[in-house]
Amino acid sequence: MGVDETTVLLVEDEEALLDIYSRWLTWQFDVKTASSGSQALDILDETVDVVLLDRLMPEMTGDEVLSEIRNRSNDCRVAMVTAVEPDFDIIGMGFDEYLTKPIERETLTETVMELAQRENVADMSRRLYALTRKQSLLQSSKSESELAASDEYASLTDEIEMLRSQLDESLAEIGDTEMVAMVRDLEDDPEADETEEDTQ
Amino acid sequence: MSYDVSGFGEVTFSEGTSVLVSGDASQARERVYDAVAEGLADGEAAVFISTNESPRRILDALGDRIDIPAERFAIVDVSGDGDDGEIDGVSVRAVGSPGDLTGMSLAFAKQLQLLEERGAATEARVVIDSVSTLLMYADVQTVFRFLHVFTSRLDSAGLFGIFTLQPGMHDEQETNTIRTLFDSQATIEQEDIALRGSGYS
Repeated sequence: MGVDETTVLLVEDEEALLDIYSRWLTWQFDVKTASSGSQALDILDETVDVVLLDRLMPEMTGDEVLSEIRNRSNDCRVAMVTAVEPDFDIIGMGFDEYLTKPIERETLTETVMELAQRENVADMSRRLYALTRKQSLLQSSKSESELAASDEYASLTDEIEMLRSQLDESLAEIGDTEMVAMVRDLEDDPEADETEEDTQ
Repeated sequence: MSYDVSGFGEVTFSEGTSVLVSGDASQARERVYDAVAEGLADGEAAVFISTNESPRRILDALGDRIDIPAERFAIVDVSGDGDDGEIDGVSVRAVGSPGDLTGMSLAFAKQLQLLEERGAATEARVVIDSVSTLLMYADVQTVFRFLHVFTSRLDSAGLFGIFTLQPGMHDEQETNTIRTLFDSQATIEQEDIALRGSGYS
C-alpha cells in the first residue's frame, strides 16, 4: 500500500466538521464518512487504513467504537479526536494517535500521512521478516553451489535488497517517539502470525 | 563522527553502524565492556541495555577499566528486578522484563534524552546485551522487527550499536535471520575475534 492509496474513515457527529475534514483530506486520500459510531462500524472494512474517531459522540462513544474495532482485529490505525488533552490513563486504550480540537488542516493531513506511513513500514517489515526467514532456511539446507544455481534464491535476495533499501529510506529520519510507537505496534501486531504461516 | 574499537582489531566504525558480537556470553561481554570503556575514555557517551547483568556488576567491570564519567553513561536494567534511580551517580532505568520491548525502547529513549540534555549524546555507543535473552522472551519475528526498528533509530542518530548473541542457544536458521540485520559481525572464539561485513575500516 502506498501512502497515496490510503483510505481514511472520518467519524464525527457534527456534520459541519465532517464536511470540513472531508474537504481537507479528499485531495490526498480516499475518504469515507460516518456521522455516528454505529454507522462507522457498518462502513468499516479491510479497505480502511486510518480512522479519525471523535471521542465524544451521542449514543455510541468513540471509546466504544474503538474497542469494537480492536475486537474485530482490524489492523487499521486509529487517531482519536478529543476535546481536551487526554490523561496518561487512556494511552493503553489501543489508539495510535490523538488530536485535540480544534484541529488545523496541516495537523490533520500530517497525522493521517504519518499513520499511513507507519502502517506501510509495518507491512514492509513483516514482509522483510518472512523473506529473510525463507532465505535463511535455504541457506541452512542447501550448499553454496546449489544456492548460486538457484533462481528462486537469486530473486529472493534481490527482493530482500530492494525491500531493505525502501525501509532504510522510510526510516532514515526516525526519531524516539516513532521508534517507541513502532515497537508498540509490532509487539501487538494482529497480522504477525499470518506472516509466520506464509513462510511454512 | 566515528567510533574506534581497538579490541576488534584496531578498527574504526562509521556512525550509524551496528555490530553483532557472537560468542560465549562472558567472553562477548568482556569485549563489549572494553569497547564501551574505550568510548567513554575518548569522551563519548554510552547507554548500556542489560538483560542479565545487574547495574552494579556493569559499573564494577567498567570501573576496573576506567574512571566512569557518570554524566556520560546511563544504564537500562532489563533484568527484571531493578529499580529506577542512580548508582554511583549513573542513571539507571528499570524495565520489568526482557519481554517488554516497548518498555525497553521507552527507557532507552529517556536515557538518550537525558544524555542529550547534558550535551553528551552526539556520539554514543549503545549496547544490548544480550539478543539471545530477548529471543527467550519473544518470538523471532518480534525480535527481528524490533531490532530492525532499533538499529534504524541508532543509524538516524549517528550512534554506534553493539549487540551480543550466543549462537549456541538458537538454531542456525534463527541465528542467520537475526544476523542479516547487522552491518558487521564480530565472531569471538577464545582469544580470537573475526570481523566481517561493512561499516568499519
